[in-house]
Amino acid sequence: MIPQQFEYSAPKTLDEALGLLAEGAKPLAGGMSLIPMMKLRLASPEHLVDLGRIKDLNYIREEGGAIHIGATATHQDVLSSPLLRGKCPLLAETAAHIGDVQVRNMGTIGGSVAHADPSADYPAALQALEAKIVLKGAKSERTVSAEDFFVDTFTTALEPGEIVREVIVPIDGDGTGTNYQKVLQPASGFAIVGVAVRVRKQGEKVTLARIGVTGLSNRAFRAKEAEKALEGRSGSPAEIQAVAALVGQGIDANSDLHASAEYRLHLTAVYAAKALATALGRIA
Amino acid sequence: MKISGSYFLPLPPEQAYQRLQDPAVLAGAMPGCESLEKIGEDEYRMKMKMAMASLSGNFDGKVRITQQNPPNSFKLMVEGSGKIGFMKGEGDLNFTPKDAGTDVSYEGDVQVGGTIAAVGQRLIDGTAKMMIKRFFDKVAA
Amino acid sequence: MATTTITKTEKLVGKRIRRREDPRLITGTATYVDDIKMPGMLYAAILRSPHAAAKIRSIDISKAKALKGVHAVFVGEDTKNAGAVPCGASLPGLRVPHHNLLAIDRVYLVGHPVAVVVATDRYVARDGAELIEVDYEPEAAVADPEKALAPGAHAVHPQWADNVAFTFHQEGGDVAKAFAEADVIVKQRIVSQRLIPNSMETRGVVADWHAADRSMNLFTSTQAPHLVRSLVAQILGLEENRFRVVAPEVGGGFGAKIQTYAEEILLAWISMKLQKPVKWIESRRENFLCTIHGRGHVDFYEIAAKRDGTITGIKLKIIQDLGAYFTVLTPAIPTLSVLMMPGLYRTPNIQADIVGAFTNCTPTDAYRGAGRPEATHGIERMVDMVAAELKMDPAEIRLKNFVRNEEFPFPTATGLVYDSGDYSAPLKKAMEMAGYDQLRKEQVEARKQGKLMGIGLCAYGEICAFGPSPATPAGGWESATVKIEPSGQVTVLTGISPHGQGEETTFAQITGDELGVGIDDVLVLHGDTSLVPYGIGTFGSRSTAVGGTALYYALQDLKAKVKKFGAMLLESEDVTLANGQCTDNKTGKSVGFKEIAAAAYRAMKLPPNTEPGLLATHFWEPPNFTFPFGAHLVVTDVDRDTGNVSIRRYIAIDDCGNILNPLIVDGQVHGGVAQGIGQALWEQAVYDDNGQLVTGEFMDYTMPRAHMMPWIESGHTVTPTPVNPLGVKGVGEAGTIGASPAVVNSVVDALSPLGVKHLDMPLTPEKLWKLISAGSNA
Repeated sequence: MIPQQFEYSAPKTLDEALGLLAEGAKPLAGGMSLIPMMKLRLASPEHLVDLGRIKDLNYIREEGGAIHIGATATHQDVLSSPLLRGKCPLLAETAAHIGDVQVRNMGTIGGSVAHADPSADYPAALQALEAKIVLKGAKSERTVSAEDFFVDTFTTALEPGEIVREVIVPIDGDGTGTNYQKVLQPASGFAIVGVAVRVRKQGEKVTLARIGVTGLSNRAFRAKEAEKALEGRSGSPAEIQAVAALVGQGIDANSDLHASAEYRLHLTAVYAAKALATALGRIA
Repeated sequence: MKISGSYFLPLPPEQAYQRLQDPAVLAGAMPGCESLEKIGEDEYRMKMKMAMASLSGNFDGKVRITQQNPPNSFKLMVEGSGKIGFMKGEGDLNFTPKDAGTDVSYEGDVQVGGTIAAVGQRLIDGTAKMMIKRFFDKVAA
Repeated sequence: MATTTITKTEKLVGKRIRRREDPRLITGTATYVDDIKMPGMLYAAILRSPHAAAKIRSIDISKAKALKGVHAVFVGEDTKNAGAVPCGASLPGLRVPHHNLLAIDRVYLVGHPVAVVVATDRYVARDGAELIEVDYEPEAAVADPEKALAPGAHAVHPQWADNVAFTFHQEGGDVAKAFAEADVIVKQRIVSQRLIPNSMETRGVVADWHAADRSMNLFTSTQAPHLVRSLVAQILGLEENRFRVVAPEVGGGFGAKIQTYAEEILLAWISMKLQKPVKWIESRRENFLCTIHGRGHVDFYEIAAKRDGTITGIKLKIIQDLGAYFTVLTPAIPTLSVLMMPGLYRTPNIQADIVGAFTNCTPTDAYRGAGRPEATHGIERMVDMVAAELKMDPAEIRLKNFVRNEEFPFPTATGLVYDSGDYSAPLKKAMEMAGYDQLRKEQVEARKQGKLMGIGLCAYGEICAFGPSPATPAGGWESATVKIEPSGQVTVLTGISPHGQGEETTFAQITGDELGVGIDDVLVLHGDTSLVPYGIGTFGSRSTAVGGTALYYALQDLKAKVKKFGAMLLESEDVTLANGQCTDNKTGKSVGFKEIAAAAYRAMKLPPNTEPGLLATHFWEPPNFTFPFGAHLVVTDVDRDTGNVSIRRYIAIDDCGNILNPLIVDGQVHGGVAQGIGQALWEQAVYDDNGQLVTGEFMDYTMPRAHMMPWIESGHTVTPTPVNPLGVKGVGEAGTIGASPAVVNSVVDALSPLGVKHLDMPLTPEKLWKLISAGSNA
């Protein structure tokens, strides 16, 4: 539990940090995954740049009809933000499922998203929200969709030297309901399966359905077949069951000590149904 | 851990078979491979640098090809060890003509030991799948 | 707060008094091994094998030695004459592997120490360890005890090709007759899986050798400091009177710190070699691999019963997964299971066989309950299975077979004598609290709706207060010294070594009541061999029953002397000690405790035949074990869709004899229940076929957490033991022993409409879901 020697910088400005990162340093944004890896010597970065002192990265604000969340907003910040709870409750609800109190107090949205753990909670919600992720390098800034951002296990669209600068989530008006359901792996607290649902209804018809899934396979993904099957329907219990059964269809599910692929797929359907029913029930 | 799967290569079996034994192709396709040096008949010494998420580590290992039955099948063995643990993969590759190319199916065993085995359980399956996919993607490229 | 006035207002024993050790623990001011710093202290890091079985071709330490800050690097060749890890257990024909401090030419488990680097700080030491190059030639390993015993298995130790460390046979009564005359015979294979004890503080050692006076100070996180002293001094050829072992604050042990480990010997050896103090602190990863594991049983049960539910015979074969080598009690643990195999039942005929199997795994040894949870789990599962076979209520079959109140002291078929009991009382109390009949009716309704609701019972008995010396490997007595200082304050020195059990509080309660002083006038010291008389240690729920009794008797001696001085000062012959003073029973005149103490030390005048000073020591040898008992009742609901188990109600009724402090007893029960539920539902040490511990960190090993616990409704019945004058039996392990069978019986009951008769732990949701979705007949 003793890391190798490393250099540590805690710059106060983003530019300074990006300059150091361009030289090959590794960003630290909470460290809930990185620090344990370093203690086990599974990771031995030579230079760590702590993004935690950059004021400019820690915010949650409404801007241009969307909510912008700075990279170093902690999970606790997200789950307790009145703005998010009021206007994008799915993200706040998801944050409340992450790890434990200590992890939520230290871990950040940028750190979690950039790490792209295939069982992390946020990616499911970000897929369902069709969130945008702003990537910043020393000389660049670009915005990618959550769908394009999560590429594979621990693999994202981030280029070397880039960090997640902020996450942008939409503000949904009335008529929208959301929910995140998670099957917890009891040892680690990671999701065995997590399903985030965002549905909109006009009258009796579902006009928009977005379903994000984490934990099931190599990366968080959107269950588009299931989404399509729900849109245009009323969302009756029978339809929910049918749609939920589509969520994991065709997915090459992961298997580990805690859940076989078969069980994961089964849980995906069960929890997708719960998430769908809850989200539909929450439509005001 | 048992692994199995298949990958379609847009090459006839003879070429697919050859490509998967070509040290230059293997060196380019094995994730993290930094060098591959012939040390015997169908046996190579390999240096790898694994980097995934924040995990990183150097491995010294071997690649061995046995039970050759061109262009139908052979056995591929890859092993490596480093400070963070060791891994060993062994699999049978079978080549079946399909459409204008070859269906390469594999079946084998992956063994992981040391620190990575103790802390990476929930990730080994997904990681193995990703590595194999990357490998074949590069072979196909 | 302690003051210079000695006070006393009320009786202390039996009160819910908060633990006096807690303020330093919760304010972070306690001193653990890792808090100890010494001038010039070096740090050790140990390089360990990543392979479960391998030959060592070569070890190159040159790069490590060359690293700046590294003082020394040692390998197996260096330490091969420094002794081996000691095993205290003896059984006929036992094969004891010689476990060197560092591996020499082969390793036989993941985590096997191969080299040690000593450096100026822990970071350099770890860096140095990484620079050591070991060329291993891996071999096939065997990690499963049943596979280890199969022909052709890899031999963990080449000299013993069959991997059998010992076999053990015991029988009582006429088991053949019982089975021949049985109406029903029920058989089941039952697994008590490997568990990892996981105390909050890992192990750690500081060794500090002083060559000039040939003295050693060894600070170690242990449950048995005197045992460590005797063993390490003997192994290293040092003088025991110059060898001081200190167990400072110890952050939990659960049995995993009774042993004397390689690191305790190794660090002492290094300190002598380098003439410097040296520290080693176990990492959590090392703790998973290098501190003992618990359980690891595969049991084959056969029960013979009459149609009316009378259990007439038990046959048991235990395959014990011993791991790769032995720590101090390894082979003895399954023999405790045999002793307790009849549980609380009268069954006169038993037959038991143990096969101890070597595997390429961490050694098993005592883990909370040590042998008794396995036995209780087995018999309590089997009794349920017999009840199911006979279509009897599980409560009814238990009540029918319990040892009856008039039969105590009750000799068991395994050769024990149960001290005292009213075995049906806790079961009836639990059923009453639960509203058992109503619950059964509710269950009928729930089943009609397809719901999986279970009610599980466990009536457990355990053997505690180890114990009469002939029955233990290192003595079963305990010691206590009580000193009254000239100021009147009282110091208790105990041979037990508490590390969370609260004896600093309960022993002060006993002392306060006996001497008639306040709890804050008493200080309880322990864990330093240079301070306290020789003691055995804290394990096996023995501290209060044995150590508390030694204290009680020391207090009787001392009380008599105090009274003599009091009588002298009062010029009386009939005095009482209470409320911080000594009172003449005739005149009502009194003299303060403080004045008496001062007089005893000032010694201007002495009572007849009395020496100055106030000190008494007592060594107490118990005449028998104690046998606590109780009943747990658990109501569960199993979710058909997911296999999740939720515990709706958890009722624990324990009878541990007299209760000195209900708050501490409840705490012990709660912690024990948490560990028992942990085994039932979540915990398991999983090795892959190559001997890699795949649950090697908290990412994959599910420790129970507070939020996963049900509300525990606890209650007690009180049946004092005649074995000791305090009437106490012990409660440290009770919760763990009662919990796992109660939970499993409840879940099996829930799934019984599907034809499920038995389930092995842990009851993971996937395991249950597979049965439910198959609608199965397991």
